[in-house]
Amino acid sequence: MTSKSAPAADYAIRQINMTGESLPKTINNGPGKGLPNNHSERKVIHVGGKEVELRYLVGGFYIELDVDDEAMLDERLEEIKAACNATIEHGYTLQVGRYSKYKPTLHDYRSE
Amino acid sequence: MAAYKRQFYPGTTTPAKNRRRYMDPKVKLKKLRDVSMDDVVRIMGHRNPGEDYKSIHPPIEEGKEPDCPIRKLVAPIEGAKHGDRVRYIQFTDSVYFAPISPYQRAWMYLSRYRGVDTGTLSGRQIIEVRERDLEVMAKEMIDNETFDPALTGIRGATVHGHACRLDEHGLMFDGWQRYVWDDQKKEVVYVKDQVAIPLDRRISVGKPAAMSDLKKRTTIFRADGVDMRDDKEVTMYGLRIHKLRTLGGYQPWKVKGE
Repeated sequence: MTSKSAPAADYAIRQINMTGESLPKTINNGPGKGLPNNHSERKVIHVGGKEVELRYLVGGFYIELDVDDEAMLDERLEEIKAACNATIEHGYTLQVGRYSKYKPTLHDYRSE
Repeated sequence: MAAYKRQFYPGTTTPAKNRRRYMDPKVKLKKLRDVSMDDVVRIMGHRNPGEDYKSIHPPIEEGKEPDCPIRKLVAPIEGAKHGDRVRYIQFTDSVYFAPISPYQRAWMYLSRYRGVDTGTLSGRQIIEVRERDLEVMAKEMIDNETFDPALTGIRGATVHGHACRLDEHGLMFDGWQRYVWDDQKKEVVYVKDQVAIPLDRRISVGKPAAMSDLKKRTTIFRADGVDMRDDKEVTMYGLRIHKLRTLGGYQPWKVKGE
């Protein structure tokens, strides 16, 4: 699920997507269809002043950074690593890459 | 010719020995807990405890069966005699060293019991039997060492979780949260039945086993446990089957003598 932080002009993070195993709100099939699920991990968290209801058992974050050059990217990564080390107890992996669409595709060309 | 003596499974390592152990009908599996029959029936959710079994055809003794030599040969199981409905129970086994895994469940059921219809998928293993016999088998399955409260789930639907990381209490993920961790008693407690209809009372299935104990009882070959490549006999058995299947479809004349 997406959680946009307050888009300040110079801060690098444009978007944070949280992902993981899905926790449905109601039971979605079978004899119990429609009953409330009441999963204990379906909490409400506060992000940047807003409340977000967790729909997944969060295991991964896609953090979209808006940076001008390598140096700035490294700087931001250090900050993120520091934050992760402080909060995540059992270790984590951090990978840098492109995980979202960044060029218009042929489909976009056709549909405009 | 001497009667064929079953060898069950190749291999010398611990998972292979456990596979043989579970499959061999002469081995009596240890009973680790006692969940009452009423509780097992509640978890399965097909009838209320104390209710009569619904039937789909009249009992066999009434004599309306057609005259068939196979029907005379095969002795019906209890449920078939009474004409019960066929109902199911479905288990999900975590890859993190659950005592047994789906294919071994299938082998075990077919080796030990009669009248079962079993279906094996990567994330779940279902057994369908006449209701009377299913309840007896389900109680045995839940009581014995093939069931671990944290790593085996009784799930009728939405089974996702067999390959997910375990949570902070070592429990397998369940999207419908059919079981919860009781922190005071340190036990796993079922709060919903296998299709997530809430139970009227919580059913405890006991304490999960320690990981060191599970590693000795598991049937799973994993790179961080016992690697299948370390067990030569099992690897050769798998490779031989694969080779024969490939040759049989591609150059069948080469199979002679293999």
